[in-house]
Amino acid sequence: MSQALIELVRGKFPDATGSSHRGDEVVTVPRERVVEVIGFLRNDPAAEMKLLRQIAAVDVLTFRSETTGGGSIASIEAPAYALQKKPSVEPRYQVAYNLYSITRRQSLRVRVELRSDDMKVPTITGLFRTADWWERYIYDMFGVHFDGHPNLQRLMLYPEFVGYPLRKDYPVRKRQLLVPELDFPDLVRGPGPGPGGAGVPMSQTHVGRANVDPNTYD
Amino acid sequence: MKLPMLRPEGNVPESARLGGEENNVPVMLSRLDETIGFFEKNLSNALGWARKNSIFQYPFVTACCGMEYMSAMAGRYDIARFGAEFPRFSPRQADLLMIVGTINVKQSPVLKRVYDQMCEPKWVMAFGVCASSGGFYDNYATLQGADRIIPVDVYVPGCPPRPEQVLDGLKILQDKIQTQRHRASTMERAPEMGK
Repeated sequence: MSQALIELVRGKFPDATGSSHRGDEVVTVPRERVVEVIGFLRNDPAAEMKLLRQIAAVDVLTFRSETTGGGSIASIEAPAYALQKKPSVEPRYQVAYNLYSITRRQSLRVRVELRSDDMKVPTITGLFRTADWWERYIYDMFGVHFDGHPNLQRLMLYPEFVGYPLRKDYPVRKRQLLVPELDFPDLVRGPGPGPGGAGVPMSQTHVGRANVDPNTYD
Repeated sequence: MKLPMLRPEGNVPESARLGGEENNVPVMLSRLDETIGFFEKNLSNALGWARKNSIFQYPFVTACCGMEYMSAMAGRYDIARFGAEFPRFSPRQADLLMIVGTINVKQSPVLKRVYDQMCEPKWVMAFGVCASSGGFYDNYATLQGADRIIPVDVYVPGCPPRPEQVLDGLKILQDKIQTQRHRASTMERAPEMGK
């Protein structure tokens, strides 16, 4: 049934490509057409997608890479991803709009692919009010710029934060503290995750110090 | 042997008065010093007894540990049995800062400011593993333990801790308050606020 939705979009926009995986339908559209396509899906009587369930972003940098075997990169032992040594997959980012029709009980995902050197997407806040915070959230975590957004600021993190933490090349154990850390030279933390763990005295870690190199950690 | 000079407040050095660690060497005491020391010690014990049994707490509740905090406060476990039933929602009236839950980096200046606003003497309890060490939130947003920004007296582990553990931590803190040194008045200046 949702194949009909893909055909509907492709009939109107021939440069869209559709795919389906276990009942999960995706339409990949060029970046310039995303407002048109989503507006069409919202207003067309055969689609009637009045609900924007989510806007998500994906970083496919380490997808099926040999470093992690496609598994989790979030382990402590995994080294930070060096973009100089291994260039990124292009297009590296995806932005996915998950749309749903309450009246017709059908869903469709509209996907936009982005190259890492040009991360701009037109905003859809003119179509859905709820896209406001979703787009701020994605800007906060991934650094995708939404052109025309009325108030594109960080949503959750503090303004002093440098970088975008959900990018795959963000160092896993990097911290950016706002309050200077107390120094207990004799305090040794037990084994476990986090800085100062595994028997390293806290005075030998450099968390919260002024001379922290933001690209290396521990 | 050179005798120490007699001073009006007594000859006993600070470290030798009450439980000092350098108290191995016997100090020659006059009757006046013995009397002053006797009263100071008794006064300290009395103040410790009074303070440990009337802990006013400031609950800094940020996460799911708050449910266990409520359970420890409520009738079944009844933290009032130990004299700590009175949560004050102003840090200026509180003795004990209970950090109940995860502290993230964005929130840490608030916690630091709340701690600075409390009056001496003050104690801090880290309630649950997130407040103690960050817990399993080993990520960019979470402070890896509240003791990275303020000193903590008692750590209560658990995710969240059972109310029995909270009461046990409170008893440990009471022992600490009883054995530490209390003075009737102090000439020490308060630490600089802010910053």
